Amino acid sequence: MIKIFFIIALIISPYGFSSEVYKFKSVNDEDRFYALIHEIRCPKCTSGSIASSNAPVSEDLKMKIAELINQGYSDTEIKDYAKKRFGKDILYDPEINSTTFVLWFGPFIFLTLILFGFLLRRKFK
Amino acid sequence: MKNLIRSLIILLPLFGIYFFFNILTEEKFYPGADFRSFEVPNFELSALDLDVKYTSEDFDNEFLMNVWASWCITCRVEHGFLMKLNNDGYNIVGLNYKDNKSDALGWLKKYTNPYSLNIHDPKGSLALDMGVTGAPETFLVKDGVVLVHYSGEVNKVIWDNVFFPIIKENKMFQ
Repeated sequence: MIKIFFIIALIISPYGFSSEVYKFKSVNDEDRFYALIHEIRCPKCTSGSIASSNAPVSEDLKMKIAELINQGYSDTEIKDYAKKRFGKDILYDPEINSTTFVLWFGPFIFLTLILFGFLLRRKFK
Repeated sequence: MKNLIRSLIILLPLFGIYFFFNILTEEKFYPGADFRSFEVPNFELSALDLDVKYTSEDFDNEFLMNVWASWCITCRVEHGFLMKLNNDGYNIVGLNYKDNKSDALGWLKKYTNPYSLNIHDPKGSLALDMGVTGAPETFLVKDGVVLVHYSGEVNKVIWDNVFFPIIKENKMFQ
């Protein structure tokens, strides 16, 4: 009898545990949520995304993002929300603007210059 | 052309060493300090010790806001300095962060209370909106605008170098 009870408890318990914490209106919203939490850095433990973090502040931030998605905020608005509070470091991909231009395009510019130099050298030989 | 390349072989690594030496030895000005100002976000939270609700409109004067909790060990370290600030006449608002009401009240009773009033934020909703990552953190607020956000323990050195220049500059607490 106890054995059967134990087996039933084992079978049921995963279903009890897997209750959804985050609720969304559509699958699309849910996909957006999971994409966003991988792009936003944990403010407390800066070498992980909030998706991989159990820090209280990350849990709060995930809840907040879910809430904002359900309120109809766009991805950029949500990123701005996080950026405004925790600084530009919160985003894993640095944004493209005048200060990060070198970071994004520097290597390509450097490569083109080298290629150009090689071509010039060939021509003058 | 050959000479140019030869000199580049020497100059480039030297430039690299200089560049990284500069970056790595740069003295950062108190990494916990953040001077980007922003308005105190809208909120409605109950008080810790009284049966009243506070909203963002109640906080349009000059004050320090200290994020604390009874589980926070550094808050205990910081407590002595906050008591000193309170004795010096600074208005300190407490934001009780992710804490149990009875634990928090017990903490205040045990160690004395440096706060003029306490906001109870059990879920950390206001704290998240203000960019708090943990406790203790301290904000300097003037007319509903945050001027300084400091993450970590406030002590005499931090007070003199981070908070006091801004207080003086804005002619606060006079």
